[in-house]
Amino acid sequence: MRHLGIDVGGTFTDFVEAREDGLRTWKRLSTPEAPEKSVLAGTPRDDFERVVHGSTVATNALLERKGPRTVLIVTEGFKDLLEIRRQTRPRLYELEPQRTPHVVRRGDVIPVRERLDHEGNTIVPLDDAELERVVDAAKSSGSQAFAICLLHSYANPEHELRILRALEACGLSACASAEVLPEYREYERASTTAINAFLQPTVAGYVSRLEASLARLRIMHSAAGLSAAGEAASRPVSMILSGPAGGVLGARAVAAQSGFDRIISFDMGGTSTDVALCDGEVTLRNTTEVDGMTVQAPLVDIETVGAGGGSIARVDEGGALTVGPESAGADPGPACYGRGTLPTVSDANLVLGRLWEHQPLGGSLLPDAARAHEALTSLGAPEVMAEAVTQVANANMARAIRRVSLERGHDPEGFTLVAFGGAGPLHACQVAEEVGIPRVLVPRVPGVLSALGMLTAPEALERSQAMLIELGAGVADSPQQGARALEDEARAAFTAEGFAVERLTWSADMRYRGQAHELRVGVERPEHTEFARAFHAAHARRYGFAAESRPVELVNLRARVEAAPPSIPLAAGDGSPQAPIDGSSAAGRIVSRASLPVGAVLNGPAVVVQEDATSFVPGGWRGVVDDAGNLLLEPSP
Amino acid sequence: MTSEAARLAVWNALLASIADEMGVTLGLSSHSPNIRERRDYSCGVFDPGGEMVAQAAHIPVHLGAMPEAIRAVQSLAPWREGDVAIVNDPYLGGTHLPDISLVAPVFWEGDIVAFLSNRAHHADVGGMSAGSMPLSTELYQEGIIIPPLRLYDAGERNDALLAMILRNVRTPEERLGDFDAQLAALDTGASRVHALCRRYGTAELRAQMAALKDYTERLTRAAIAAAPDGRYEAQDAVELPGDNEAPIVLRLTIEGDAMTFDFTGTAPEQEASVNAVAAVTRSAVAYCVRCLLPAEAPSNEGGFRPLRFVLPEGSLVNARPPRAVSAGNVETSQRITDVVFRALAHALPDRIPAASAGTMNNFTFGGQRADGTPFAYYETIPGGAGAGPRGPGLSGIQTHMTNTANTPVESIERTLPVRIHRFELRDGSGGDGAHRGGDGVVREVEALQPMEAAIIADRRRNAPWGLGGGEAGEPGADTLIHAHGEEQRLPGHTRVRLDKGDRLRIETPGGGGWG
Repeated sequence: MRHLGIDVGGTFTDFVEAREDGLRTWKRLSTPEAPEKSVLAGTPRDDFERVVHGSTVATNALLERKGPRTVLIVTEGFKDLLEIRRQTRPRLYELEPQRTPHVVRRGDVIPVRERLDHEGNTIVPLDDAELERVVDAAKSSGSQAFAICLLHSYANPEHELRILRALEACGLSACASAEVLPEYREYERASTTAINAFLQPTVAGYVSRLEASLARLRIMHSAAGLSAAGEAASRPVSMILSGPAGGVLGARAVAAQSGFDRIISFDMGGTSTDVALCDGEVTLRNTTEVDGMTVQAPLVDIETVGAGGGSIARVDEGGALTVGPESAGADPGPACYGRGTLPTVSDANLVLGRLWEHQPLGGSLLPDAARAHEALTSLGAPEVMAEAVTQVANANMARAIRRVSLERGHDPEGFTLVAFGGAGPLHACQVAEEVGIPRVLVPRVPGVLSALGMLTAPEALERSQAMLIELGAGVADSPQQGARALEDEARAAFTAEGFAVERLTWSADMRYRGQAHELRVGVERPEHTEFARAFHAAHARRYGFAAESRPVELVNLRARVEAAPPSIPLAAGDGSPQAPIDGSSAAGRIVSRASLPVGAVLNGPAVVVQEDATSFVPGGWRGVVDDAGNLLLEPSP
Repeated sequence: MTSEAARLAVWNALLASIADEMGVTLGLSSHSPNIRERRDYSCGVFDPGGEMVAQAAHIPVHLGAMPEAIRAVQSLAPWREGDVAIVNDPYLGGTHLPDISLVAPVFWEGDIVAFLSNRAHHADVGGMSAGSMPLSTELYQEGIIIPPLRLYDAGERNDALLAMILRNVRTPEERLGDFDAQLAALDTGASRVHALCRRYGTAELRAQMAALKDYTERLTRAAIAAAPDGRYEAQDAVELPGDNEAPIVLRLTIEGDAMTFDFTGTAPEQEASVNAVAAVTRSAVAYCVRCLLPAEAPSNEGGFRPLRFVLPEGSLVNARPPRAVSAGNVETSQRITDVVFRALAHALPDRIPAASAGTMNNFTFGGQRADGTPFAYYETIPGGAGAGPRGPGLSGIQTHMTNTANTPVESIERTLPVRIHRFELRDGSGGDGAHRGGDGVVREVEALQPMEAAIIADRRRNAPWGLGGGEAGEPGADTLIHAHGEEQRLPGHTRVRLDKGDRLRIETPGGGGWG
């Protein structure tokens, strides 16, 4: 049994190989201009049972607007759906509010004379002459990608599908919103469909280049499951959180091994930090924003905070030290890695001795303590300011974690903080202290946890359908029929990919009548009474009350099919033996992670170095390597 | 701790996070869509002297108004543990009647260490029309007026007061749920303040509250000092029913690191509901000044210290009881920001943008569905943003004193007997210039049942001005299109009966051009 997990990040491409005898990990520098290069260069020419891949390729293409000119075809009267969006400005206090343009330029919209009502009845038919006019306009636009979003198409896709077929007959490639996202709310559906059409060529090209060289390739999607390369190519919007989803799965898997099921994952990288809360299960949500554009697709419920190792520190005009949101990123990067000059969080950690100057980053880059000192001198006495920078970064992170927990109806005090990413284990104990989290768990391989998590992901596929019915006694509409159709669709698509359905789960987006936002709730069976029961319970858990007499609306129904999860040994292999380190820094004793056997106890202050990450155990904290090989950190008794 | 600079930042995060968490609790536990989904609420943390030290605001109009509520309830002192005050009187710490504030002292070892407050827009507080945003001529028509009173007295709920309030509103159950949410937010805040006292001690808490106010004051003074000294004048006007208008006149003096906003010469208070109470005026001014500061600057009392106000009593910008105020909050507040920015543009021509749409285009309609059930709906419609030195203005966007989201067309048509025929940009409505003003929008709504509709909108005659040579944006226009095709132009303050098949076309103003 050999499985390979590959996670392409901004700076490094991470590899985790799982074999019967344990895990092996390595890294390569990423090659952003052609991401498949680093993937193929780092992949051994061996026969793997599966190669599981997650990548930021979709997100990067979107952020950089790298894609074909995309045309939106929309109901007449609504040509500016992607301009107006939800009409709000991103920041409250700003002299000149700015918003990045959507993927469709304003002139690239073709209005169609047609109209349905909310039940899908035709108000204005789409006649043949109009269809012909639309196709002609599409042909003469010279564009390569088309997105079709007509009002109320979730209730009746016929008009959209007629346009889709007519375009395809002319050799044009198009996405119909009723196929990409058959849910109501026109802006969200149009935005998602347009982004899907925009990303298709880039992502399809990328996965097909990978598939040409890698056998049995599986793609990690944002909803914590795997899909075939073909599915990813036709639904690239489902790859937006591919890498971070792997991280959350990995955090959950290693925490479960150590006996913890209520976790907050804390993935601190160079420019940002991803935080997710798992109360047993990985929580999914339905929508996210990328660069001001809405993407509606099931994805792991992750909050991103704009602070990481590369966040720049400065003293503002009022005399306060601020850290971020500006970041030195990977280029020029923190001052200590040779190109940047502005002081960053990583520089502060190096000055404090929490990053060890003899520990290379990703196996190659050695940090330069003198450069870090010099950068921090611009703020004041370097040692004092280094401490200050980490305090401010930790305070900001703590504020974010508390808010994320509270918004999801939880007090963080009952959770375990699972720290990973290059900088997570450096800050975790102090952040936990600020938030009131009683313990920190650092996985065996914190620097490549996303790649590891991908290996634990099951094959999964989700399909949704707008229902828009009211639940309650005497209601004629029945969800059962819709549920059966949805189940058939999901099973058929999954079976066509060659998988056996091991698990079928239902979730529904529901709300009290009059509410504008739904809650995504897991339900045991798609039946009236079960929907209502599950919704009231979820509402009470999250918002503190349930209005049992109020009518409940079922907005969308989702069926998820999964194959049996792979059995992956998470226990570390012996790995490459590492020479014992006998050192110390300003922060405390330096210990190599490889030299700590199961059961080893470590009292802070200490710095634990390993190839892919560094952990800082502050004074007053104590670490124990538990039976699973994870480092469990708690305040000393 | 090691560094003053870090201590400021850390305490900024600590106190801001209390306001954040109160906001999260309030938003999540409230029952009504207006609070939960439109996020029409704010939370604040105040020092024992009643000065604001941190705020989580979603609505700029609460920015300067919350401190007024704290000052107003001090008439109830001395305080006891478990007291909670309530107030919505616009003339005693409120803004307009739907905004109800709760205020509570936080005790630690017998002493008051902080006050907490939150203010939420309740969907109905009684008065002459559902939703309590009427075309009124005196305050008494707008709903129940609550002067500063104890809702809780040393932990005991004042059931008589509560019963009195609930009997005067249309949806008492929802109000009760929203009060519970506001109380839960106060509890969240109090437990967080207690945690700080335990961890850092009250002396440190008090010292850092003071330090944070000083910090915001320094940031504000630095921003003001960057503008050249001088006296800058500006004028604009609020449109009144009929063909009249009421001018707002501002003399802004910048002297070193301080500013004086003198509104002498502004029109007197009006019979229409366009009157702004002093708190609304201060909020609008504070919003403009806040836009000059760095994005992450904390909002607190320190930001007001460099600002001096001259607000003539009995004028449009400092109305007296019992003047009606419902539109003052939503429309006149927009015009005050225009006047302030216009004056600032003389001092900072390379920073200040041209006028934005300058109206919230308040649109309400209601009636009975085919099955006899009643319906009512309120929305604000976006316009164009003014262009500025950095670039063109955004189109179809909420500007200045509001930032509430729209309801999707597919959602409105499911729940209300209307059909939306157009919601798109109003091409060419942004003012011309080196940088073009943003376009307004066209929204066209057909009644599928007979209904009453009302529009309260400004900038129907006076166009949003351009700057630096840029042209004005197109003023808004409201048109009734009868089912048989005839069109009728409507005034900006309008109540109209729609028959089945009639349409309203609302065209919102574009932003002014720049350069």
